[in-house]
Amino acid sequence: MTMNVEKFKEKLLMYGADVRNWPKDIRSSGLRSLNSYPELRKLVEEEAHFEEVLKTRKYEAPDHNLSDRIIAAALYRKKKTKRNFKVFFKDVLREFSLSRRAVAVVSLSLIFTLIIGFTIGYSNLSGYASAEHYEAHLEDSLNYEGDVL
Amino acid sequence: MKTVNNHEGKRYVFSLDPWKRQITVNIDAKRLYPDDESLISRIRQGSHEAFAELVNRHSNQFYRLAYRLISNKEDAEDIVQDAFLKLWDRPNLWDPNKRTKFTTWFYRVVINLCLDHRKKIKLINLSENTEFADENAGVDILLDAHQKQAVLERLIHELPERQQVALNLCFYEGLSNNEAAQIIGVKVKALQSLVMRAKTALKYKVNRYLRGGAR
Repeated sequence: MTMNVEKFKEKLLMYGADVRNWPKDIRSSGLRSLNSYPELRKLVEEEAHFEEVLKTRKYEAPDHNLSDRIIAAALYRKKKTKRNFKVFFKDVLREFSLSRRAVAVVSLSLIFTLIIGFTIGYSNLSGYASAEHYEAHLEDSLNYEGDVL
Repeated sequence: MKTVNNHEGKRYVFSLDPWKRQITVNIDAKRLYPDDESLISRIRQGSHEAFAELVNRHSNQFYRLAYRLISNKEDAEDIVQDAFLKLWDRPNLWDPNKRTKFTTWFYRVVINLCLDHRKKIKLINLSENTEFADENAGVDILLDAHQKQAVLERLIHELPERQQVALNLCFYEGLSNNEAAQIIGVKVKALQSLVMRAKTALKYKVNRYLRGGAR
């Protein structure tokens, strides 16, 4: 199946002068049309010439160190990343080559120790080891008459 | 595992045993980070090496587009640098969940920066030898290739902004219609229409110029 001249012109503008590079679904009908209608050859030649003109457009390549410049500029900028706790934890594990199980055991031991510590601390608010010790200290305080100058 | 990179992102040191042995292998960063998306996720964690690899991979490509849009080497370089530094400062700006390729999104960033820049400086400071050919000048004026380039540049910059962007993406960058449409944020049909209108207008103007002006 071929395409009419108008359709061919449209595709020519859309996909360029090289019909072999057109999308697969219209390529074969484009090539058939090109063989069937001699006037289309002239259109293709004109389009190719126009594309050549477009390709003469001026272009200046970037400095060879453009990438290095960008990379260096990034290094000097203050990195404001919000550290993800999960990522941080993973990094720590990887850095010290710790297994998750070992970390879990150590963490649980610490938590257990803290709980015991707080329990003992709250059960003895006065801070004295025994009731006798407390009474003796109280008596000393009551009998205290000040320093002798 | 410990990783050490140089700026080319090519040297990596892996420790097999954290206490004793270490082996050093050279791995092409492209193999280690096959896609841009994995590089971005490393950049999110603060990896400067991943950033360096991304810049090495794409800076020239984005520079090319920036240059085409603003026609000034220094400004185009600055714009590409700004765009990459924005990414470095805020890598979360690119959302992988939106299923847009990194390059598609970044093209858009660069284009927006270029268009903002153009608004600021009111581009096209053509020197006197880039003036449009006199209607009666004839074709001998075309002998100067430099002048031809300048005229072509001017004709392209006279096109509406979206047509220019479409032409640059599809013709000069060789992107597919789908990708270019995604970058500009239009449907494929609309993109094709932009390209066709751009080429038709440009062809008319070029032909008029080549004939030494319409009489």
